[in-house]
Amino acid sequence: MARTRRNVLLDAAHGFGAIALQSLLAREGKAAPRVNPLAAKPPHFPAKAKSVIFLFMVGAPSQIDTFDPKPGLKKYEGQRLPESYGKIQSQFTDGSTPLLSSPWAFQQHGQSGAWVSTLMPNLARCVDDLCFVRSFHTDSVVHAPAMYHVHSGRILMGYPSLGAWVTYGLGTESDNLPAYVVLPQPEGTPEGGTPCWGAGFLPAVHQGTVLRPGATPILNLKPPPGVTQQRQRATLDLLQKMNDLDTDPTDSEMGARIASYELAFRMQRYAPEAVDVSKEPEHIRKLYGLDQKRTADFGSRCLLARRMVERGVRFVQLYSGGGPVSTQWDAHKDLVENHEKMCGMTDQPIAALLTDLKQRGLLDSTLVIWGSEFGRLPMSQSGNGRDHNPHGFTMWFAGGGVKAGRTIGSTDEFGLRAQDDPYSMRDFHATILHLLGLDQNQLWYLHNGRQEKLTDFGGNVIQRVVA
Amino acid sequence: MKLWAFLAAAGLLAAAEYHGDTDKDRARILARRNWWSFQKVVRPDPPKLNSPWVRTPIDAFLLEALQAKSLKPSPEESKLRLLRRVTLDVTGLPPKPEEAAAFLNDKRADAYERLVDRLMATTQYGERWAQRWLDVARYADTNGFEHDLERTHAWRYRDYVVRSFNSGKPYDVFLKEQIAGDEIWPGQPDPLIAVGFNRAGPEHLTGGNQDVELNRQEVLVEMTAGVSNVFLGLTMNCARCHNHKFDPILQTDYYRLQAVFGGTEGKEVPLATAEEKARYDAARKAYEARLKPVQDEITAIEKPYKEAIIAERRAKLDPAVQALLDVPKDKLSEADREKQKNAKDQITPSWDEVLARVPKPELERRSGLRRQLHAIELDEPSPPAAAYAVVNREKPEDTNVLKVGDHRMKLGTVPPGLPLVLTANTAKPVPLEAAGRRTVLAEWLAQPEHPLTARVMVNRIWQFRMGRGIVGTPNDFGVMGERPTNPKLLDWLAAEFVSSGWSIKAIDRLILTSSAYRQASARDAAREAVDPENKLYWRMNRRRLEGEAIRDSVLSVSGMLNLEVGGPPIRVPIEKEVYDSIFTEYENDNLWPLPKDRAQIYRRSLYLLNKRTVRLPMLANFDQPDAMTSCAYRPVSTHALQALSLINSDFMAEQSAAFAKRVEQAGPAVPVRIQRAYQLALARPPKPAENTMAQDFFTKGGTLQEFCLALLNRNEFIYIP
Repeated sequence: MARTRRNVLLDAAHGFGAIALQSLLAREGKAAPRVNPLAAKPPHFPAKAKSVIFLFMVGAPSQIDTFDPKPGLKKYEGQRLPESYGKIQSQFTDGSTPLLSSPWAFQQHGQSGAWVSTLMPNLARCVDDLCFVRSFHTDSVVHAPAMYHVHSGRILMGYPSLGAWVTYGLGTESDNLPAYVVLPQPEGTPEGGTPCWGAGFLPAVHQGTVLRPGATPILNLKPPPGVTQQRQRATLDLLQKMNDLDTDPTDSEMGARIASYELAFRMQRYAPEAVDVSKEPEHIRKLYGLDQKRTADFGSRCLLARRMVERGVRFVQLYSGGGPVSTQWDAHKDLVENHEKMCGMTDQPIAALLTDLKQRGLLDSTLVIWGSEFGRLPMSQSGNGRDHNPHGFTMWFAGGGVKAGRTIGSTDEFGLRAQDDPYSMRDFHATILHLLGLDQNQLWYLHNGRQEKLTDFGGNVIQRVVA
Repeated sequence: MKLWAFLAAAGLLAAAEYHGDTDKDRARILARRNWWSFQKVVRPDPPKLNSPWVRTPIDAFLLEALQAKSLKPSPEESKLRLLRRVTLDVTGLPPKPEEAAAFLNDKRADAYERLVDRLMATTQYGERWAQRWLDVARYADTNGFEHDLERTHAWRYRDYVVRSFNSGKPYDVFLKEQIAGDEIWPGQPDPLIAVGFNRAGPEHLTGGNQDVELNRQEVLVEMTAGVSNVFLGLTMNCARCHNHKFDPILQTDYYRLQAVFGGTEGKEVPLATAEEKARYDAARKAYEARLKPVQDEITAIEKPYKEAIIAERRAKLDPAVQALLDVPKDKLSEADREKQKNAKDQITPSWDEVLARVPKPELERRSGLRRQLHAIELDEPSPPAAAYAVVNREKPEDTNVLKVGDHRMKLGTVPPGLPLVLTANTAKPVPLEAAGRRTVLAEWLAQPEHPLTARVMVNRIWQFRMGRGIVGTPNDFGVMGERPTNPKLLDWLAAEFVSSGWSIKAIDRLILTSSAYRQASARDAAREAVDPENKLYWRMNRRRLEGEAIRDSVLSVSGMLNLEVGGPPIRVPIEKEVYDSIFTEYENDNLWPLPKDRAQIYRRSLYLLNKRTVRLPMLANFDQPDAMTSCAYRPVSTHALQALSLINSDFMAEQSAAFAKRVEQAGPAVPVRIQRAYQLALARPPKPAENTMAQDFFTKGGTLQEFCLALLNRNEFIYIP
């Protein structure tokens, strides 16, 4: 599917403005090539991963109920955290509430013997493709700042998000779709809101574009009612002819403007097709759980994510959760009801995504990440829930360049703090960039006199995640 | 545990004064006092050149630099393009056909100067400037972060900025008002509103346990960054974690500057009279009386279903816990009180769980009531006027140097002070009490001899009008910033600025009337080979309009623009996709109430609600900054989403229809309509080729509205020539 900039222009040239575009081609390499600011760029060094699907669980799943078993907690059930652990201040609790063991059983799975609880029976079958890191920690105990941290490297708003940095570094392989797409929960947005996929101070071209299923997947994709495609074509042709009158053919900025209208026009044709999962064969729809009420929504977003990377989209940010507390992973009370619901919605689709990418040979070139803004405490809240835990939590990687079937790092005996090999969000980001062939220190942007980087003072690539 | 952490935990570090800087550190800083932008401005004489091109001293400096490279300036721009340029530039709106006619017919030698004076006297002059200044001040109407609540009174600062530019307020006063207006002019409303500058940036306000020190540190970081980026033109904030890597700024310099704000905190200071307040209280009471019956009815609908859920959940609890639920709190042991609280949490349903139980007919009745409620809410009385200001606390807090900027790692206290490198022998002590710290900072900055203040501001004016600063990095005059392309010109402008009484308008007018500004913007291969980035200004820079100016221009051409000035921010209709991106955990049926008076939605973009987490696509797609950090210049990116908003959005459909209606009034004949459309959109007649194109378009079935839409999408419409 990879297409070069030349192809893009030639394709555009079949439509209108052929003369201007041909002249752009003729001088290609001479003037600054600003026609497509998202033209694919080579990575800093060769890498397997070409695109990313970041599965983000909004509100924070509990590590000790999913991937990080703490059988020892049973012994302390109902007791307070030993004083030697110091004072734990979470957002709503102060560490004095009783410890609560996991209501779910854990088992080892696959060749690798990775532990997964009964909450995720389908994912459990994929563990040999996954690399678990059980020892991430983050800087804020509050959702929004912690979301900004995991998305953009700072607990503050206004910094470019991971997807923005990646498209800034690599451009895109897709001519007909946005480079960086966002698939939110239909019930609502994550607490951090749109800055989670913002471009920060990078040019707006690097912002994430929200994609929705249906006839108008992108905002303002379709002309207003009553305007046919032919009519719009005629209007754009007129616009083009008028612009040609006073456009210097060597003017790359104006060339970019002309090309942007062509890409917009092509998007109208290709984007609805790209999001149309109805044409997928029955067995695929079933695989993703599109035939069941519980999994249909998240499943269709996972299927969309696959269709996006198939079409050369560079970065897919996919959310489970958003809006009302009942559609988030934020189990302050009734952990059982919340996690059974959220896992029920996502377990089969995520397993399907991994299986499907693999059977199409796309898993080798796609980096899949599962994670959240933090984890949850081993102590209870409201008797049967858990408050936020930024001190130690699990995320996993799969696909392009990832060492599959491995579990790295650990938390303490309660699952409270990262213990062996603790990793920061900077390490997390450095690793993702590395897997894409990007050097965290070479990827910078000068803003207000400072070379801003995703990892700021620098993180360490988690070498054991890398195959 | 590391030593500092141990000491900090033991409370041993916080009180001690920091003495981490050695004499060597200080000597190293002072040795670098020779950096160009730290030198006093010495007014250079403009070169004496005998050329008719030299209209202003600016032109003399530029021509000298051009001649040194054997370059010639470009010829003067055509009258009509010049009119379009200067009108868009000064007002942010395109020229009207009658303005074009008047300018073309004005054969006086100083017709252009008269035009500039007329434009600079309009209210739109200050609005245009305010848009630019608010970028630098990172102003928005909301706090940011998850709740992103509206700052009810913040807009008064925006209006203050408009007023200040329009009234020709001297820049030293403008600066002093914004940093320390409350201290220097106590009791006066405008300076009190002006200090809103110090809290224009984002602020994280949320519920639950708070790390008070972290929140406070974030506020102080914001205040310090504001002053240093905006007025000082230095990246002081780089020294928050360590001595500045490039500039001669110590980490202690940063924290001493932060300490200037150590007694400062945000506060809404009432401006209303007792009578106004009483009037508001009465209006509020009447308003709440209107809400109550509707709210009660809604609660009554929900009640049985809410109670049913509670009863079901209660029945599932352990009987012992159930029994606890009915016992009064004060009769319970501490352990049982905790159990009771937990049980209450567990059985209380969320709003959506309740609504899921309400049967459809009642749900519909409830929706109707909610609509009634929201209609009443549009009449909510405006709160009595207040300034979104800062004030001084009784006692300042200690300011600590923080290891890597982490508030938990205190290395010792520092007194308030000004950057060593700039004040080595001249430092005026900053008072230790809270009051007066900011005054010293403001007065130090506003000294005529300050090497940075005037240079930084004239460079902003220059960048605004010429498209590129003499220093290409207007927020950074340090080592990582660019060097001035024409240092003598920069210094002459700075000196002239101060001797004009810090008059922004004087410098602005000088630039707008220069030959340099009047040059054609056309490209030229030969000159481009010598100076590809046009650093010598051999031509005028073409500039793309900001999203705000595009929207305003479209409204102006359609005839729908509402030029009302000032007031609380306005919400305009947004697409469903944008609405859905607003975060809430609650019912999302009224997150974006539109104004009752529909004419309000056609106000200038400056007055639209600038909500940090909800950006309007048409503005954001054209690189509108997100108001998180000071934005000295906007990047210009070009991409397909811009095209989509400009050809397909509801706004453009409505506006192109209104534009077409306006054109129709010119008469039924096609050539007349083409003529009128060109005049309205581009303030010029169509060329013969354009006439033919338009005729051809209509012959093949094109509609007037489509034609109008195409005109509004033209490069010529979107760019300042």
